[in-house]
Amino acid sequence: MSYRIVDKCIGCSLCAKLCPVLAITGTPKEIYSVNEKRCIECGVCGRVCAKSAILDPLGNITQQIPRKLWPLPHINTNQCSSCGICVEACGMEALDISDPQYVGDIHTFAYLKDPKKCVGCAICTRKCPLNLIRMEAIS
Amino acid sequence: MKLPRYIEIDLTRKTSKIFVISTRDFHDYLGGKGLAAKILYDEMAAGTDAYSPDNLIVINVGPLTGTGAPSSSRFNISTKSPLTGAIASSNCGGTFGMKLRGAGYDGLVIRGQSASPVYIEIMDGIVNVRDASHLWGMNTEDTQKQFNKRYGQLVIGPGGENLVRYACAVSGERVAGRCGIGAVMGSKNLKAVIAYGTEEVEIEKKKEFDAFVSRWVTSLKNHPSTGEAMPKYGTAGFLKKVYKNHVLPADNYQHTNFAEADRISGETLAEEYMTRNSGCVSCPIRCERRVKHQDKEIKGPEFETIGLLGSNIGNDSMNSIIEWNYQADLMGIDTISLGSTLAFAMELSQKGIKDYGLQFGNPEGISEAIRQISLREGPCAELADGVRALSEKYGGHDFAIHSKGLEFASYDPRHSVGLGLGYATSNRGGCHLNGGFLTFVEILSPVSVNGLDTKGKAALTAFFQNAMESVSSGGSCLFTTFSVIPAFLFKGKGDGFVNHITGRLLTYSSPLLGFIMHHPGLFNFKMFYLFPHIEAIELATGIKCTVGSFLEAGERSFTIERMFNIREGFTSADDCLPPRIMNEMVEEQDTTMSEKIKIMLHEFYRVRTWEDSGRPAKKLLGRLGIELHDDENE
Repeated sequence: MSYRIVDKCIGCSLCAKLCPVLAITGTPKEIYSVNEKRCIECGVCGRVCAKSAILDPLGNITQQIPRKLWPLPHINTNQCSSCGICVEACGMEALDISDPQYVGDIHTFAYLKDPKKCVGCAICTRKCPLNLIRMEAIS
Repeated sequence: MKLPRYIEIDLTRKTSKIFVISTRDFHDYLGGKGLAAKILYDEMAAGTDAYSPDNLIVINVGPLTGTGAPSSSRFNISTKSPLTGAIASSNCGGTFGMKLRGAGYDGLVIRGQSASPVYIEIMDGIVNVRDASHLWGMNTEDTQKQFNKRYGQLVIGPGGENLVRYACAVSGERVAGRCGIGAVMGSKNLKAVIAYGTEEVEIEKKKEFDAFVSRWVTSLKNHPSTGEAMPKYGTAGFLKKVYKNHVLPADNYQHTNFAEADRISGETLAEEYMTRNSGCVSCPIRCERRVKHQDKEIKGPEFETIGLLGSNIGNDSMNSIIEWNYQADLMGIDTISLGSTLAFAMELSQKGIKDYGLQFGNPEGISEAIRQISLREGPCAELADGVRALSEKYGGHDFAIHSKGLEFASYDPRHSVGLGLGYATSNRGGCHLNGGFLTFVEILSPVSVNGLDTKGKAALTAFFQNAMESVSSGGSCLFTTFSVIPAFLFKGKGDGFVNHITGRLLTYSSPLLGFIMHHPGLFNFKMFYLFPHIEAIELATGIKCTVGSFLEAGERSFTIERMFNIREGFTSADDCLPPRIMNEMVEEQDTTMSEKIKIMLHEFYRVRTWEDSGRPAKKLLGRLGIELHDDENE
């Protein structure tokens, strides 16, 4: 199953730019398409599309949602082992491992370094082997 | 149960073919280097030249790779080595392995030879062979910059292109270093392999697996070695102990008294050069060093690099080691073989045999030599063939420090004799890891096994070799096994009564280890503290895995690699160490190594059920279910 783009698409390329797994391709000003095999159904494309040109896997038309309402990851840093899986999985480079506080500090953790880059796809949540990340919308 | 899915790519014909590993082979070999050895043994003909189109490269993962299990980003590359003529296997912690799984495959088999430079692109299961002429000549960093950062990448540098016999392959900043894998890729005109996709690794019992991983990570984090010493000092932290025990080689293994050892220790690296520690993806141990180099943060050197580009060439400057390590990674050549070859060249000029303008204790000319080696130009071009080839050309056999053609890592085995046996019997040649890494119990860990005594070493070596084969085949980093040493032994200076007793127990464990090896079926249970990998593999894949079957998979892997080598003409005569190590002594009161090796080898063959010729006995092959090919049945 996968998100799909219908012919209302005006080829603005915004969804392709924000797709965290590079599943959307196309030529500007033409209709874009989703690589079904690659789509992880995160719904980011649907949230950015101003033309409601994107259908979710059930065939419902998606609605644009303002970015400030998108969910952001919250990481339980106390138990984080700094394994870096989330940092690597994040296609938007929004996450990083914290800097050591002093020379020889080995107690680092993953954190949301750049909230502006985060698209709320939740791939970090899925990949964290210790289940320490949950997505929360800013209310 | 999902069986491993492989794809075979023929670079001559530009065709590909998908195949699935059988349940039996999956159970018997798990994956990684074990399964790769099985493929090479079955698919390759005896005497195939390493650079011929018929040589195969197997790049594969283990069942735990990319599952989220700790330290499981490892992938393996196996082929026939142009440096040794034996089987080559090299393990790497870069992201390529997990990305390959994301792209839909657990392994690649590459055969043939392209007429012009190409790279292989694997996207969502679809394979394309594309032109790489624009990448040819680029260093490993620039090559990787040409692709999207999100892709898994495995590339070679100028070293591989120019067939430096110890060229490596690089994924991110992690390196599959040993045995000349990069040169085999270069001989096939294969500059890079790129993989990407979002296929999830299927986990049989997801909930239980997650809980188990949590427990495993906690145990690694709470252990004094994997939770503290390794993250703080990395492998470089071994150096002080290695030096104190006369195991750190200096001036091409002429002695072990490198007075400036402090200046190149892990402590110095951590306190004066390191910006932070880091690690391969998925690893909570995080032994990687990050250091500043000309306004850029780069990977710091590992212990072996520090020893071989430091003490073994008489160099006490950490800065220069950091720089050469970086340069060698960019050029795509193995820092271990490089350091050893430079040391050999230095001794050639010291003895007046051949002058390359390189001298012990003088950093001048080394950077230029690395450049010339990688590009195979200028007077140092022939250093690209490694120590054995140089000694065959100019002499100096006595001080050519290699076994089966592979240069030693920076552990002198004369005060760690178990490792000496490992170097002599390892399937890829003078390698500390394939050799069983007995230095770990002899020198590094606080269990006080006597490094000078041969007692018990044969069985320990065989046991450790098997265990490490299994851990590798499973897709985990070997450092995950460090936590097997009970935490209480790390208390105090590590030389207390308990440490002594543990050491004695290990020394006298031969009958038990032998029994485990010969009757794996009786060990039909799991033990978290010994090998957490076993339960993780079972939960992830659904194949039944026990202490016995896990260790037997390692033994099978070691044995089939041995059979590959025997088919290539290797015999017991090749299970040896260079004359300098055999006959010269590190300290006056020592006895020579040659006697010790003889005793240990004899016992080792017995424990392994090998004939005197060094060939695994029919009985053993029968128990392991290794089928011989027609031409080998005597």
